[in-house]
Amino acid sequence: MEQLAYAAYGFYLVLILAGGWAAVRCRDLVRALLGLIMTLFGVAGMYFLMAAPFMALMQILIYVGAVSVLIFFAVMLTRAPGGDAGQEDEERRPARRAVLALLSGVLPAAILAAVVLTQSPQALALKPELPLARLGQMLTGPYVLAFELISVVLLAAMAGAVVLGFERRKGA
Amino acid sequence: MMAELTALLTHPLAQMVLALAAILAFLGVNGLVLLYAERKVAGFIQRRPGPYEVGPHGLLQPFADAGKLMSKQLVAPMGADRLLFWLAPLVSLAPVVVCFLPIPFSPLLTGMDVNLGLLLILAFSGLNTLALCLAGWGSNSKYSLLGAARAVAQSVAYEIPLLLAVLAVAFQVGSLDLSAIAATQAKGLLSWNVFVQPLAFAVFFISAVAETNRAPFDLPEAESELTAGFHTEYSGMGFGIFFLAEYSYMVVVCAVATALFLGGWDGPLVPGPWWFLGKVFALVFALMWFRWTFPRVRFDQLLNVCWKWLIPLGLANLVATALLVKWVG
Repeated sequence: MEQLAYAAYGFYLVLILAGGWAAVRCRDLVRALLGLIMTLFGVAGMYFLMAAPFMALMQILIYVGAVSVLIFFAVMLTRAPGGDAGQEDEERRPARRAVLALLSGVLPAAILAAVVLTQSPQALALKPELPLARLGQMLTGPYVLAFELISVVLLAAMAGAVVLGFERRKGA
Repeated sequence: MMAELTALLTHPLAQMVLALAAILAFLGVNGLVLLYAERKVAGFIQRRPGPYEVGPHGLLQPFADAGKLMSKQLVAPMGADRLLFWLAPLVSLAPVVVCFLPIPFSPLLTGMDVNLGLLLILAFSGLNTLALCLAGWGSNSKYSLLGAARAVAQSVAYEIPLLLAVLAVAFQVGSLDLSAIAATQAKGLLSWNVFVQPLAFAVFFISAVAETNRAPFDLPEAESELTAGFHTEYSGMGFGIFFLAEYSYMVVVCAVATALFLGGWDGPLVPGPWWFLGKVFALVFALMWFRWTFPRVRFDQLLNVCWKWLIPLGLANLVATALLVKWVG
């Protein structure tokens, strides 16, 4: 069973990385979206591997089933089929662009790596799956502030989208 | 030799492969049977005999159809995105297999006892929409694209009342395990959730018809307006796999409805699995009946039914259930 777990880990890792590569590199927006979905699937698989099936299924239900479909809808509304992804002129200051891209990619990774390496995690004794009721109690108890703050972020995003939509309509 | 064989067969990997093969075999047979059943039901409802020429009472018709589909040439239209075009039918069929795992045919005959079974089915059946989108986009055809756009709007809208109805039952039982939910209804006819939660059942079943893209909510394929909607450009088994997936989703939806609302395997005289299958196929028959009885709704009607009726009703039912569970316990 342990080898199976390693094989699954490797498989999900490949899925995440390949999906990410496709999402960034594909010219066709829908293919890039497919890459994103592959990555989300890989992350769901990782949750399964960490004995958090609720998280995994929620990941699939919300991100793969709903959010990516909405992104698809947005792509379909904005662009004729077969269109290329947003064309940027690549001649303008290529060095600066490369540095910025590297920075935005490497910095979060470095911070995460520093945390993981210094706060070396306990050996993974696989805990039994957390019951759902307990999860709910944690969210409405000790973690209630974070939970509410996330909903405020969502609200801000929605308000922003509505404002942007209204401005677009006024201009047209 | 024998010991090695049993060791091999009881290996979890081998069991998984066996279970998947069994489910795929069931899906194939199910597709053939439902194909014949649908054509016969359509025939009788329209006062004609339906398929009659191939075999006695047309019984061999589905085999002829399957043979035709499998031997036809696979053509991708010019300018289509071949990767997306051929990926779409696979994305449509593959998740169905997973959806069958947690369905409780009887207390013993359950593919995999997952305590989040309901969530598993909801999560994986959502992938079907994605498949329709890919098919519509990859075909490079305006009919397909229109079908895909409709599929997205419809499935996103109807997923909400579906979840609200399911949540009401989950609140009442306090579990997302389909076997556990079915087990609480094994105390005779009146303990079935269809009598405890009639509103949730109605909302669930109507949303389920819309989620499976069946008439009268079959706008994504609407053959009189969009030729065949999202699968206009598919020939041979490309279409065949979409077709198989649609019939499999019908069975999944009806099986979930049976486990949630119709008492699962509960029934007298014959063993549980027969009751379960009987109820499932009775619901499938109801789906076919709908298809040949109601004309297709318009798009604004479709969304009005969802936003003005099903979602408010589902929300009210959910709140009432939550309050009752809180007070009565």
